[in-house]
Amino acid sequence: MEQLLEILNPHFLLRNALYAGLIVGFVCPQVGIFFVLRRMILLGIALPQVSNAGIAFAFLLHTLGWHFFYHTESEKVMALTGSIIFTIITIFILAILERKRKGFTENRIGFTYVLAGAASILFVSWNPYGQTEVLSMLKGEIVSVPDVYLWSMVAIYGAIFIFLTGFHRNFILVSYDIDMAVTVGKKVIIWDILLYIIIGIIISLGVMTVGPLVIFGFLLIPPITARMVTRGILPFCIVSSAIGVTASFIGFYISYRFDLPTGPTDVALLSVILVLSYLAKMLFSMKRQCEGKIKLKENA
Amino acid sequence: MTTDNCITLKDVTIGYNGHPLLKDINFSLKVGEFTVLFGPNGCGKTTLFKTILRIIPPIQGTIVYGENHYPRFGYVPQRQILDEIYPFTAEEVVFMGTFGQAKPFCPTSDKNRAWVEQCLKDVGMLELKKQLFSELSGGQRQRILIARALATRPDILVLDEPITGVDILAQKMIMELITLLHKKHQLTFIMVTHEIHSIPKWIDKIIWINDNKVLIGNSIELLSPLITDEISFQGTLWH
Repeated sequence: MEQLLEILNPHFLLRNALYAGLIVGFVCPQVGIFFVLRRMILLGIALPQVSNAGIAFAFLLHTLGWHFFYHTESEKVMALTGSIIFTIITIFILAILERKRKGFTENRIGFTYVLAGAASILFVSWNPYGQTEVLSMLKGEIVSVPDVYLWSMVAIYGAIFIFLTGFHRNFILVSYDIDMAVTVGKKVIIWDILLYIIIGIIISLGVMTVGPLVIFGFLLIPPITARMVTRGILPFCIVSSAIGVTASFIGFYISYRFDLPTGPTDVALLSVILVLSYLAKMLFSMKRQCEGKIKLKENA
Repeated sequence: MTTDNCITLKDVTIGYNGHPLLKDINFSLKVGEFTVLFGPNGCGKTTLFKTILRIIPPIQGTIVYGENHYPRFGYVPQRQILDEIYPFTAEEVVFMGTFGQAKPFCPTSDKNRAWVEQCLKDVGMLELKKQLFSELSGGQRQRILIARALATRPDILVLDEPITGVDILAQKMIMELITLLHKKHQLTFIMVTHEIHSIPKWIDKIIWINDNKVLIGNSIELLSPLITDEISFQGTLWH
């Protein structure tokens, strides 16, 4: 209880990490629902890995004295830029190949995952300095989130959430029924591009803040869980974010209380919620079946 | 019923990626007409109606829509192409019909809610509106998709294989519903089918695609020889 009050104190030392986790837990599932509904879950594994490769590449350039921006030498700005460029280019290439139906989706995504993983390690090993620092960023630094970073997250994730909410109908329609979307006058290609850019930004920023494992967990596990326990698209979206925020807060508390790494604790907790929801759903449907059989017997 | 043409195809060639499937297609559809696009699987029916709906661009030729404006289409797809992973209720599927006119950041208006209720009522699915779409039977899903198409407030209603894959009783009910809606709403209908027994006898026009040829006529001209020869005929005409 003492620790819980400590966490809730506005002057809590690790408050930025807590807030960052809550933002990720709230917004990532809203993007993740499109991964689940468009059956792009494998892409959710590959893209954080690509983002990692982008970060490692940017660090390598930085160490070698190359900078994306002339006036700034900030490592984090470099890393974020590298991450966004790699992620968005990859998602567009994969989307174009998907539309042209070249080869199999699983093959393309599997190849992307392996290539990005190998590239990350090679970029880090070629980096003559600061390997520890690069590795620390690749793992995500959920415990130490600077103020500037937190406010950037609030602004970018907030803008994305507002945009997704405002244009929710368009994103849903072009995902569910492209032909219908065209007949009612929606520019499908534009909405697809916007969704891919949003996915790229969410993953790039998220990977740098909380790491690829946590981003993957928050993108996918809350919507998968919510789909099992809800009826209707609106409850599905609300429950997804509610699961994300709850897991993020409780996960932070457990990690602080028992001195565990926050990211893996969050993902483990999300997995526990998923398994419990599945069991509850099974029990509920078994109960309904039993009730049905009893009614049938009574009627007979 | 007026005699204005709402769609006119002039020397149109259709196909995918520049490869022509059907050439020199010429016909017009009049406002209020019920037209059936008929032919065997793979003959190009779906490509033709997707070209009319502007989902696929024509390779050659021109399509003229109405006198002054591009008509609003109500589209009923083959229900099998819609993914069951989406947790939509029946009502939410029908609401999609209003998305074309919906403004961003605005909640659904009372007017649209009432209209969606009316569309659900028209297809006899009001009581099942809170059911998950994926839990409905084939015939019920088809009704919901027809309600969704009506919710777009269409000038032309396009149905792609509306009775394929549903049982015979559901087929009869869907065709009765389509007949009723045609009479009630006085809309222009285009129905795509490969099943000859699903074609109502009273329709205005048949566009029959076979062996890369497009034949146009009425049900007596085109269907009678088919029925006599018993070509791919396994049922009876709807009366």
